[in-house]
Amino acid sequence: MDLSVLERVKWLQQQQMVSPEFFEILGSDGREELKRVESYLGNNNDEWQSFRHYETIDGCISRTSSFQMEQVKNNEENRATALQHKRKTEGKTEKIENKKNKKIKTEDETESSMKGKSNMSNSETSSEIQKRDYIHVRARRGEATDRHSLAERARREKLSKKMKCLQDIVPGCNKVTGKAGMLDEIINYVQSLQQQVEFLSMKLSVLNPELDYHINELSTKQFQACFTDLPEAVSKQSMMVDASSFPLQHQESLDYSVINSIQTTTLGSKDQTSSGWEIHSQSLYNNLRTDSDSSFFSLK
Amino acid sequence: MERQIINKKKRVFSVEPNKIPPSEVFTRKYTRLLVPALKKLNMNKNSSQANQLTVKHEVDMALALSAQEFAWSRFLLQKLSSSNNPTTTTSSSSNGIRIQKRSGKEGGDEDGEIEEKMRELQKLLPGGEEMNVEEMLGEIGNYIKCLELQTIALKSIVEDTT
Repeated sequence: MDLSVLERVKWLQQQQMVSPEFFEILGSDGREELKRVESYLGNNNDEWQSFRHYETIDGCISRTSSFQMEQVKNNEENRATALQHKRKTEGKTEKIENKKNKKIKTEDETESSMKGKSNMSNSETSSEIQKRDYIHVRARRGEATDRHSLAERARREKLSKKMKCLQDIVPGCNKVTGKAGMLDEIINYVQSLQQQVEFLSMKLSVLNPELDYHINELSTKQFQACFTDLPEAVSKQSMMVDASSFPLQHQESLDYSVINSIQTTTLGSKDQTSSGWEIHSQSLYNNLRTDSDSSFFSLK
Repeated sequence: MERQIINKKKRVFSVEPNKIPPSEVFTRKYTRLLVPALKKLNMNKNSSQANQLTVKHEVDMALALSAQEFAWSRFLLQKLSSSNNPTTTTSSSSNGIRIQKRSGKEGGDEDGEIEEKMRELQKLLPGGEEMNVEEMLGEIGNYIKCLELQTIALKSIVEDTT
């Protein structure tokens, strides 16, 4: 057991990867995955698949528990691709044994249907490779080799990274979890923005003959003072704007125009210089929705 | 002579080339493109029938031209230049229906739903359907930002003159 503990520690040191976002996304599957995962581990020898395992009990990653898994002796070789996530509590042997029994059952059931070689030697010579804090990818039946699963994992990481960035851009995404909800929000936001642009351009076309374009030269100067960075890549910044450093003549009129169109403001006050251009993306979003609807009808 | 040349060379490169925040660059370009175009429209047109469409056209054109670092702007330019009738980026009624449908839909394959939403997102982004998913996600971020800036610019233009 000591040996296995040492191995475990080594393994931990080698691979410390955490992606809590996966746990968010994959919440409900945890329990079922556990059994399936166990059975996979027991039977698969050379085709170690990476697993995704969600701990529903605590969500606490830092706890340690040891499950005595029925491991095959070639664990060390295949450790590079086999990622198992278990809780470790030392001293809960009863629990371990129970799980073990469960595992045996599930293994028996699934053994016949498993692909790859099954080297179910001894259930008692299982060394523990249950480690924590790994990125786990769902093991699909018939997912062939290590490279595939690794590549897929990398791809998923990229995707989740980008989703995170989008979360920062699109207001209101923080409250929603999961890809589907976030995508919903993003779609709604893009649509509302496009509608807003359309509406404004229509308004512009109506006003076009009467427009005095000399004023717009001044407004370009106002823009200069007003915007934070827009990164070339996916932006992580909100629309916070600080105009306090740039007092302008026409800012007052713009303040009112902005405030009129953005009803709920975090600005609150009548402070002209600083509050005028502090546009919270959240409030902008809310008011884009309401504003476009209401004023769209008023135009008709 | 050489020193002069060296000094000249030193002068050419700015110390902090990226000092101007990109959002400013965008809005500056945008307004500088849009306003003269609108002026031109103002002077040229006689009938007001095609007015809305052409204004939209100019608006989209300005957007595409001011954000040329991004892939979607190229697609947008293509769309605009290929069609005589200006294209609209959205049709609000259909989108409204879409939103309602989405909220009522439950169940079904989780992955399938996500894929479907990705596809919808791709439709929103100009040129999104020709990109793969990862690329599209990145481009959507840029697109959203540019749209936001565009709305602010348009708002100020409109509000400024009323």
